[in-house]
Amino acid sequence: MVRARGLAVLIAATFVAFACGGSTGTTASKGTIKIGSDLPVCTVGGQATQNGVQFAIDTKNKAGGVEGYTIQFQGFDDCRQAAYSADAGVENVQKMLGDAKFLGMIGPYNSAVAKAQIPVAEPQHFVMVSPSNTNPCLTKDLPDCSYHPQDLRKGNANSYFRVVTTDDYQGPAMSSYAYSTLKATKVGILDDSTVFGVGIANAFEAKVKALGGSTLRKSYKKDQTSDFRSILLAFKTFGAMAVYVGGTDDQNICQPRAQMKTIGWDVPFMGGDGIETTDCIDQATGNEANIYATSAGADATQIPGAAATIAAFRKAFPGPNDFGGYTMQAYDAANALMAAVGRAIKANNGNVPTREQVRTQMAATKGFVGVIGTYDFDANGDTNLKVVSIYQVQVVADPTKSTGVCGSKTAKTACFVWKDQIDYAKA
Amino acid sequence: MGAGLEALKRVRSARLGGMGIADLGFFTLAGVTLVLLAAQAVINPTQFAQVFVFGLADGAIYALVALGYTMVYGIIELINFAHGDVFTLSAYIGAALIAFFSTSENAFSFGNVIALLVVFPVVMLIMGVINVGIERVAYRPLRNAPRLAPLITAIGMSFTLEGIMFVWHGPATVHVPNLLPHGPGWETYIGGVFIGFKDVFVVVAAAVLVALLAVFINRSKLGKAMRATAQDRDASQLMGIDINRTIAATFFIGALLAGAGGIIWGLYFNTITYNLGFRTGLIAFTSAVFGGIGNIPGAALGGLVIGLIAAFSDNYIGPKWTQVVVFGILIAVLVFRPTGLLGMRVPEK
Repeated sequence: MVRARGLAVLIAATFVAFACGGSTGTTASKGTIKIGSDLPVCTVGGQATQNGVQFAIDTKNKAGGVEGYTIQFQGFDDCRQAAYSADAGVENVQKMLGDAKFLGMIGPYNSAVAKAQIPVAEPQHFVMVSPSNTNPCLTKDLPDCSYHPQDLRKGNANSYFRVVTTDDYQGPAMSSYAYSTLKATKVGILDDSTVFGVGIANAFEAKVKALGGSTLRKSYKKDQTSDFRSILLAFKTFGAMAVYVGGTDDQNICQPRAQMKTIGWDVPFMGGDGIETTDCIDQATGNEANIYATSAGADATQIPGAAATIAAFRKAFPGPNDFGGYTMQAYDAANALMAAVGRAIKANNGNVPTREQVRTQMAATKGFVGVIGTYDFDANGDTNLKVVSIYQVQVVADPTKSTGVCGSKTAKTACFVWKDQIDYAKA
Repeated sequence: MGAGLEALKRVRSARLGGMGIADLGFFTLAGVTLVLLAAQAVINPTQFAQVFVFGLADGAIYALVALGYTMVYGIIELINFAHGDVFTLSAYIGAALIAFFSTSENAFSFGNVIALLVVFPVVMLIMGVINVGIERVAYRPLRNAPRLAPLITAIGMSFTLEGIMFVWHGPATVHVPNLLPHGPGWETYIGGVFIGFKDVFVVVAAAVLVALLAVFINRSKLGKAMRATAQDRDASQLMGIDINRTIAATFFIGALLAGAGGIIWGLYFNTITYNLGFRTGLIAFTSAVFGGIGNIPGAALGGLVIGLIAAFSDNYIGPKWTQVVVFGILIAVLVFRPTGLLGMRVPEK
């Protein structure tokens, strides 16, 4: 549907170009509109996510752009010292705010960055669409949160949206899977002391306890721990039947997986979307199998019709690690934003809309058909899609056909394979 | 000469003579810690022994790095901040060299033996040369400059080395092949305590290197020159010792040990990152101060003790508190015993 309309625009544009005597380009662009992204491009997962944005915008421009305007994409990197940095994210948003041509951005990738960016972006009505933020406190006023969305917004209308569901679904989804399917009633929980890591570990822990299980909780900091064996031993002594980690790969959260082997301990190793990554498989070197991870969205293989888009993406980005756990989410986020920009242009009689007009249209998104689902956004910017997917690392025959991410170094055939999904919208 | 020496003498006589207040505090502190640990050992001896093994292995590596800090400080009173990064760089170079050999991570093969036998000395030599280069470029021109100047160039060299590794392999984890024997047949449970060949290897290798260093320092002519230079640089020069050569040799030997430590770390944990040296260096430097800066047996002992403290803290208290525990104990020890566990040995002015 989208493609057919794009084609019509292209044909119309070509016709207009010829009618006007034909100028230089193939499309008669009315001008350019900029869309940015703010992602930790230093990580394999961040780069793969940016690829999804790039692919969506390239595809749209080839089909004639948005309402006659060419979309210019600029990707910003929020890595500092090899890990995401909220300060860098704020700097990037300020750069975009300083250029009037930027009408919105895709990102950020990490919840801690969003927490810092929202207070800067919202007074300017600048639309942020995150493909991967899962911390519930960003949008939901929950009593357990250390910060609240109304404080971040400072009285401004919401301009922050996300296409994935939140850790208050993602954490418990793994609790249910661990408790019911893997029969792990005692779990050791390790978090990386970050906004995301602590939040998802809390959600996981609460649900395990509610189900009747018991837990032992530990926290570490990246710059202070590189030998995890004594921590793992504490879990083993506790009698843990599984280890759950709350955190992200750039905090070395999967190194404990490798070290489990060096203490002769083999139980499932589980985590959230922060470990459904190539870097995680690489860190777990020698002990990749049976890492379990959740992803806060549907798996593309479970959605009829997504295969064609993934195949087209693979053709444009053929590298083995170009496709990541949030590439299609980023693709959908970019298209949802461009659709809102398109409606805003129409509402503004074909002229470049203001940021507030784009924000209004984005908030009014209803039934947007993306690759991994059909989206509405609620007043807080949360999606109606509440699917959590569960993956397990297995050795596959052909990693290029995998929809889950694979290792890039020693275990190139170790990939996350879709196991199950829980749809909380239906539950 | 003068006040410093007097202080040292006082400490020494206090140790040999009756117990002072400071010693009383120190022994009380050590006693309380040991009693707490002993209680854990009684409650769950297997867990205690297992953590002890982990701590010993980590401590052995810290000791190797700490020796480089302590030797350099002992001879020119410089905290060589780049030393931790020399340690990391050796693991990077080791990983790169191993790729040239036909090795197997699944089984211990003849190729692995050859690779290890070649890579260890080659990397150690490379690191030695690099460290001597660092000394020549960044420290020697500043030898008579105010103390702060070489401190800053040392920090600069640290960031330079980290930058080189960052550009080389990027921010992600680098894999070091698991060449040491591992898996069934090479691992065993002794009374419920898991011990692998790798654990034994780390401790034995470190012990052998420290022993060789001790023999070298105490028996060889160059070792004697190093001790003399550490004691009084000007007098040594008057006695015909080539100071530049002796200091360069100190850096060379320090880097040999850090180089060995880096490869051992890589082979032991199999993952390294470009900024590993920052934390390891900090801990190793702390070990050197803990044991008594400038004191070679002190650095080895300090490394082992801190490795053990960190492991016990990780297990019994929680990793979030480990840095606090380590440095808390350090503060307490230094308050009661400012010269470290075994007393410091620094140039006399």
